[in-house]
Amino acid sequence: MATAQRSTARTSPVRAGLAVPLAVGAVVAVALGVYGRVHDGTHRSLFTLFFSGTINLKTWFATAALVCGLFQVLSALRLYGKLPVPRTMPDWLGQAHRLSGTLAFLFSLPVAYHCLWSLGYAPSGSSTRVVLHSLFGCLFYGAFAAKVVIVRSRGMPDWALPVVGGTTFALLVLLWYTSALWFFNNVGFPRI
Amino acid sequence: MFKRIVDVVEVLAAVCAVVFVILLFVDKAPGTKVVTSATASPYASGDGSSGSSSATTAAPGLDGKALFGDNCAVCHGASGQGGTGPQLSGGRTKAQFPDARTQVLFVSNGAGIMPAFKTRLSQAEIKAIVDYTRTL
Repeated sequence: MATAQRSTARTSPVRAGLAVPLAVGAVVAVALGVYGRVHDGTHRSLFTLFFSGTINLKTWFATAALVCGLFQVLSALRLYGKLPVPRTMPDWLGQAHRLSGTLAFLFSLPVAYHCLWSLGYAPSGSSTRVVLHSLFGCLFYGAFAAKVVIVRSRGMPDWALPVVGGTTFALLVLLWYTSALWFFNNVGFPRI
Repeated sequence: MFKRIVDVVEVLAAVCAVVFVILLFVDKAPGTKVVTSATASPYASGDGSSGSSSATTAAPGLDGKALFGDNCAVCHGASGQGGTGPQLSGGRTKAQFPDARTQVLFVSNGAGIMPAFKTRLSQAEIKAIVDYTRTL
């Protein structure tokens, strides 16, 4: 009886704890979607750096974000002992894991800005690809926000971070697939 | 040391996220302006005519429709119905650019998220595309 009561007491705070990051993620995702739908795309560009155009910048920044995300997933697998290489865990791997995730986020910001502010959420007449890309974009930042909250919270179940982290990466892959890969296939490569 | 660098980068990312959100609500953010017929070239005529002498002439044998398909359809749609880029069909191109030469300049030099095509296409090819889009 006492054991069952203690078990319930442990799971209830866990469920309540998960509700916070999930709520944060949902708010972020919905807010971005609402903004994109309400805001009229300006069709302007803030900067292109050394790229020949805004879409070229977005394509390559998205690819850079994907590469950083891939490193973060692989490093996470090693940190969790799911990957056997490198055999000896480097001291710097944990920090590199953090850095790669932060860099992926930084690379994604100009892309997201030039999507949301310049184009909006799935403008009228958009193809299925664009609609899906818009949806994945909002979900990606929602998942990312949830992940940040989980990382900085205590008492989360062990499975929470891998699940949310994996979801975030999967959404990043889908974003890249519906944008950068489409660009490389239809417009050309490398097209810097 | 590495940890300190990572901490700094995380703070930078947080600052960038805040700036990102703020910029979303700044409609007048600095950036390349979209060229309209009112702001563009000194060659633009006010009466909507394309002028007796155009800045470029489409070379004979150039297929504007094919060039459009190869270079423009990815953003503007195969029939100019729009997509990532704005709709061109239904007379919208002529409404946006009463003067064809202004449109040629716009396509050549780009503006905003529209790339500059003068590095990829000849002026004759650009003119052929412009002529085609004005029939949509």
